[in-house]
Amino acid sequence: MSEALLALLSGSVGSLAAWTATLRETAPLLVTGLAVALAFRGGVWNIGAEGQLLAGALCATVVATRLCVGAPALVLVPAVALAGALGGALFGGLAGVLRATRGVSEVISTILLNFVASCLVALAIHGPLQEVARAYPKSDPFPAAAMLPAFGRVHAGLLVALVLAFGLQGLVFRTPFGFRLRAVGLAPTAARFAGISPERIALSTLALSGALAGLAGAFEVAGVTGQLYEGLSAGTGYTAIAVALLARLQPLWVIPSALLFGALEAGAAAMQREAGVPAVVTQVVQGAVILLAVGLSIGKRRGPRLLGRALPEDA
Amino acid sequence: MPRVLRARLQGISKAFVPGVPVLDGVSLDVAEGEVLALLGENGAGKSTLMNVLSGLVKPDAGVLELAGEPVDLAHWGPRAAQGHGVGMVHQQSALVPALTVAENLRFGDPAAGLWFRPRAERRVAAALSRRFELEVPVDRRVEELSPGQRQRAEILRALGRGARLLILDEPTAVLTPNEATALFGAVRRLRGAGCAVIFISHKLGEVEAVADRVTILRRGRVVASVAARELDAHELGRLMLGRDLPPLARRAAAPRVATPQPALAIRGLSTAGASEASRLRGLDLEVFGAEIVGLVGIDGNGQRELEEVLAGVRRPSAGEVVVAGRRVALHPRALRRAGLAHLSGDRESAGLVRGMTLAQNFILKGSWDDRRFFRHGRIDHAAAWRATRAAALRFGIVPPDPERDISSLSGGNAQKLAVARELDGDPLVLVAVNPTRGLDVGSARFVHEQLLARRAAGGAVLLISTELDEVIALADRLVALVRGELRATPPGADRAAIGAILLGGGGA
Repeated sequence: MSEALLALLSGSVGSLAAWTATLRETAPLLVTGLAVALAFRGGVWNIGAEGQLLAGALCATVVATRLCVGAPALVLVPAVALAGALGGALFGGLAGVLRATRGVSEVISTILLNFVASCLVALAIHGPLQEVARAYPKSDPFPAAAMLPAFGRVHAGLLVALVLAFGLQGLVFRTPFGFRLRAVGLAPTAARFAGISPERIALSTLALSGALAGLAGAFEVAGVTGQLYEGLSAGTGYTAIAVALLARLQPLWVIPSALLFGALEAGAAAMQREAGVPAVVTQVVQGAVILLAVGLSIGKRRGPRLLGRALPEDA
Repeated sequence: MPRVLRARLQGISKAFVPGVPVLDGVSLDVAEGEVLALLGENGAGKSTLMNVLSGLVKPDAGVLELAGEPVDLAHWGPRAAQGHGVGMVHQQSALVPALTVAENLRFGDPAAGLWFRPRAERRVAAALSRRFELEVPVDRRVEELSPGQRQRAEILRALGRGARLLILDEPTAVLTPNEATALFGAVRRLRGAGCAVIFISHKLGEVEAVADRVTILRRGRVVASVAARELDAHELGRLMLGRDLPPLARRAAAPRVATPQPALAIRGLSTAGASEASRLRGLDLEVFGAEIVGLVGIDGNGQRELEEVLAGVRRPSAGEVVVAGRRVALHPRALRRAGLAHLSGDRESAGLVRGMTLAQNFILKGSWDDRRFFRHGRIDHAAAWRATRAAALRFGIVPPDPERDISSLSGGNAQKLAVARELDGDPLVLVAVNPTRGLDVGSARFVHEQLLARRAAGGAVLLISTELDEVIALADRLVALVRGELRATPPGADRAAIGAILLGGGGA
């Protein structure tokens, strides 16, 4: 037992290499965690970060390996990132349009779109995007000019993600858009009577959230794997929900939250390698962390009411 | 079945926060065959006291006697209260909408067996309904019932669990005047059947109609406990508020300015509706400046639809809304910009967001045309703070703290913020919909005074309310909304005459 825990620790924070592995796992969790936090703030239950991430990775791969193969890095890297964001926004936006015009629950549509996205990836890498050699179901490797600049094995996407966290914190809490988003998230009917369209907010929130998740997908292919294959994301978009909830949907708090889950992911791999403990155990740990977070947030919710001046009664 | 001979609470104290007592040595008693009205403003401690009696709240100190014997407060809880024959009907319905009345009566009943026997349940429910003369269709699903029927079903459920001391928490808040009258009859019958009833209210008229005795709470203390017929409404109001409530100075308003055009004109307005009866059918209505037009009606006759159109959240199928001679796009912000403000007694319709601060709520509505708070894509928090603070002080919001979450305020104070926001910038037209719903006497008075002040300042007020007394007291002109159509009411019509029109019996 202690051996396993030791492996978990040393594999996540025990050495420089371990830290690198942790940070590499953190990057996609951070960006998708932000995507989920933003959506949940707006009262939109985007369960589709996984699919949006894959859609982003797919679009990024199209740009990197088919459309702009010869372009210089200065053009190609932004183009790849933009393609990823657009792909994710398309998937998120589709759920948003369904919600705004047809009243389709985004919980259902985003979950279903996850399957669509993973099937589209499979279709692409068995077909038009498959490597020239046609040996394996994977894309051509990205040209070097399409790869994100990296420091050792930590790519620049992590830096962008950090900037995004600060940017989103400002967007949510300082801008009129964030103000409307929070109002709709807290009380959609009240917001409607105040002249804010919950449908429009839901649509833009889903598109924006999808764009972030798509960006995470682009970072994965252009920063880590260098190619698209099935199983690119092993549930990153789902873990992102836990990341966002643990951060209490505060963009800045998503940073430490993603770091924790990133360390768990990296440590789990090491644990499996060195102590022979199945990685499933980390999922147990992650589950425990989520339960703890939920428990804490309930305590927090009751706190102010009990400590406040007086309970609003008779109301 | 245990029989409550008498419930006696003595020296009950409770403080949720140390040093801030919600109940401070409250004593109260009620006997079988008696209706006790418990009065008090919001926050006086009425609900907490009743939660103590029904086992939901443990008091810090005090003695509770039921049927002459002190109960063990250490083991006092909802189950124990139920076992002692105490039943409470809360403001929020606790029935399962998708189940029938009979199923609801059985649902969660600890005495019921493991098996569900539809025919037997129905028989028991029907027998109970007959015995207490509370007419409820026991086979219908609760979601199909009217609020009045739903409430009778709740009372039946409490009775079915053996309750002989019934606590009704503001039972008339959701009822129409006719349903309220029916409820009073039911309460009298329960009294006749030997039940004790505690009737929580903050409406004086109801107390006179139904209670034998009145206990008045103010700030967690009993200020008076007397026979109902010994008090008049004025005295009750004084005791509740702790100060005199002068009569409304309505007729002291400014004389009507001869305005060439109505401030608000509604022309040929038709909408789809939640039900056939609530569909608006070609509504025409004009409201002039310095005038309060009262629109009365029973819930579900189109008030909600009209409110939604005037608030800009429902698109009519035909017709137009004209403010000061100009046709207005039916969107919340466009209406506000044109000078039409909307005030509602319902938190959500009022556009108040729980979880946001006073200042954020203050700037929420009409904020985009309001350059004061939104500039260059940023929120001017300082300006919002100042404006909210000024409004809070002017309208006596307690506490006047713009940073405080609105959900920590009492209903009256939250409503004051809505009033402050809607009156900000002196709107030409104020549409007030059940503006005092759920408010205590003092807060309701405040809202009434603001409506009259608006009228005195030359504003047009359309008061849509199910509170007949409120409309009669305030309005210069009365119209009735019956099945989506307007009916004129003769000038000086009394409650009974208007009631007949509302039921579709008389009127033009």
